[in-house]
Amino acid sequence: MISIRNLNKRFGNVHAVQDLSLEIPAGELFCFLGPNGAGKTTTIKMMTTLLRPDSGTIRIGGFDVQKQPVEAKRIMGYIPDMPFLYEKLTPVEFLKFVAGLYNVIHPDLPGHIESLLLQFGLQEARNALIGELSHGMRQRLLYIATFIHNPRVIFIDEPLIGLDPHSIRMIKTVLRTKVREGMTILLTTHILALAEDIADRIGIISGGRLIALGKMGDLRTQTGDKGTLEDIFLKLTETPSPLNPEP
Amino acid sequence: MTPLTAIWIKDWNALRNLRRILQRESIFKTVFILCFAAGMMGGFFMMFLNGFQFLASLGGGGFMITRRLFALFFLGLGVMLVMSNIVTSYSTVFRSRETLFLLTAPLDTRTFITYKFTESTLLSSWAFFFLMIPFTAAYSWHEHLGLVFALWTVLFSVPFVFLCGALGTLVSLAAVRWFPRSRLVWASAAGLVLVLSVRMIVHIRPVMQEEATFILNRFLPGLQLATHPLLPNNWTAEGIMAMTNGQWARGSLLWLVLATNTAVLFLLIQEFGNRVFYTAYQRVTGSPDIRTRPAELLGGLDRLLGFLPHDIRGMVMKDIRSFLRDPLQWSQALIFFGLLGLYFSSFRSFHYNEMPLVWRNLIVFLNIFSVSSVICSLAARFVFPQLSLEGHSFWILGLAPTGMRRILLAKFSLAALAMVTISAGLMGLATWMLQAGPGLSVISIGLAVAISLSVSALSTGLGALFIDLKQPNPVAIISGFGGTMNLVLSLGYMLGTILPFGLIWHWRISNGLADTLFMKANVIAGLWVILLSLLTIAIPLWLGIRSLKNKEY
Repeated sequence: MISIRNLNKRFGNVHAVQDLSLEIPAGELFCFLGPNGAGKTTTIKMMTTLLRPDSGTIRIGGFDVQKQPVEAKRIMGYIPDMPFLYEKLTPVEFLKFVAGLYNVIHPDLPGHIESLLLQFGLQEARNALIGELSHGMRQRLLYIATFIHNPRVIFIDEPLIGLDPHSIRMIKTVLRTKVREGMTILLTTHILALAEDIADRIGIISGGRLIALGKMGDLRTQTGDKGTLEDIFLKLTETPSPLNPEP
Repeated sequence: MTPLTAIWIKDWNALRNLRRILQRESIFKTVFILCFAAGMMGGFFMMFLNGFQFLASLGGGGFMITRRLFALFFLGLGVMLVMSNIVTSYSTVFRSRETLFLLTAPLDTRTFITYKFTESTLLSSWAFFFLMIPFTAAYSWHEHLGLVFALWTVLFSVPFVFLCGALGTLVSLAAVRWFPRSRLVWASAAGLVLVLSVRMIVHIRPVMQEEATFILNRFLPGLQLATHPLLPNNWTAEGIMAMTNGQWARGSLLWLVLATNTAVLFLLIQEFGNRVFYTAYQRVTGSPDIRTRPAELLGGLDRLLGFLPHDIRGMVMKDIRSFLRDPLQWSQALIFFGLLGLYFSSFRSFHYNEMPLVWRNLIVFLNIFSVSSVICSLAARFVFPQLSLEGHSFWILGLAPTGMRRILLAKFSLAALAMVTISAGLMGLATWMLQAGPGLSVISIGLAVAISLSVSALSTGLGALFIDLKQPNPVAIISGFGGTMNLVLSLGYMLGTILPFGLIWHWRISNGLADTLFMKANVIAGLWVILLSLLTIAIPLWLGIRSLKNKEY
């Protein structure tokens, strides 16, 4: 579903992503881990067409994101770490807007929106302005907006920031359900326990390079460490360099 | 539903929700803004009407000026729209957080550019209509033209606004795509544009014209440029007049010329935007190479300020660096003061210095008003929220071994120093260019200094009194009760200091106020300004210091 070949991105002298290749099949929840400045967000931004790679190709659902960006975006969703929401709209207006953007054809769109609001515990906030919602409510609204066009691939940058335990449980359940239904999810997080808990496979990036890839068992074998993901992660990324200077 | 339709519906919903948002705002603020806007429009209307009546009293020459003034007015507004749209396009197309959201949606670039161009044009056009409505209303009133004139004005204004907006957006797209990032190159280009603008104004030479037109163009060179047959402002002005006078064929032709040019530019924006936007966006969002940035900005100035107490110097340098690294702040200050500086320096090109004394006197006081208004708006926008914007890092100041009194006074001193330097410099330039005489020059510069000091103190003091450390959005801070009160008091103080001198000097020149009485009136007005300024400086600062000391963080 996601196919990355020899991806490179530089910012001046900083080689943010170096020769990254990755294949993620449909129906997989993939966790992308790495220290700050390792290149996770840059990679996601290239996959979502926000940044242009210096070289390499990215295919989402068979669409080349450089050559067929609109087709690729039609089947993907993106939840950034600092999301933007229209504060002067109500949740219902915002969801109808997103449905319009993605040309969602649903026999009962208002009913569908209501059921999503109910599922995410936002029904009572349906008439409030988004600017009046709490951080947790806004995050949940963003998940609804991302799911409304039923994307085949979702990119999530830090999915649980600022959420309370109930919301965290809800999001984790929803993500696992969606993956079972065939959705592909790539998420980045610094909460290693989350990755260990829900990921099918884990990739660790450091200094712009993919330094480890596989299931928990594979990572343990690779590092010779029988400990937790935290132990493995710290061992692999002992000398993080946010600037990743060239040798 | 197309994506563009969905976006328009979203904007329509946001507009409808404005009522709910206004209900949450302070009623005092809403009423004040409405009254202020109505008052300003009324004032503009009266000013334009008086101007037309004055021109009519001049006879033939006045009639010629009136006809051309219409074109000049649209030229001025057109230039303002283009400049404004360059800045607005940059922020709406490249810097808006909505851009990132829309770019991840399945929109093609043409749709995205179309929406953003329309949005930036609408955002930057409110000032156009705010000025155009009283101008055309005054003209219509003076010429007894009736409502049909308003209809033709709107019909021509809409394509004119979009044409100017399109030019601004094209410049913005091209600049972001190709212009080098080097600050030196940007500064050189800005300087070049400035010099070329001044030279263009100075070197307009009338060619092959009848005597009256020749004299008119010598006297007011802007009129000749404004009536150039290839300029859209001339199509607009001529078209409105043609339609109003029942010249349907000519009016329709001019409207079609305007509309087709606008349509062509619209297509050009779509095509050009489609080709360059993505690459331009990469240039804007691509992380800079942080190693090329100096670790310390203005280290030399820091050493130069070594005579200041270390805590004051630290705060001053922090504020200067934050200001210089925030393009929003320095660009707004540069645009406001730069435009005023450019305008003042062109007085002699427009032969304002040869005008009768009564006019020069009026211009001097209008200049004081314009400089002071800019000071008030910049103080309200940047000085008032500066303490609140310390936000979550306020604990650094709060824990530092320095008092709140020193923090507040440091902020006041820096704001006052910057405001005084710029306003006094501008007023000095204006009075010198107008050859206003020593008495009027001293009063103008003195008023500029007093207003700068007082408004800085008022904004700093009230900013401390109404401090809101939880609000990261400066717009929300300044639009609250404290921000509105600060703006009202600043404007009230400004009028309270300028009007007495303005009236005294006007009576002196127009009615021949006796020397002794004139001197006495000036002394009384001077004492009034000093007293009012001392109170305006002392009371807000005292209240601010007391509030900061008593506040729990």
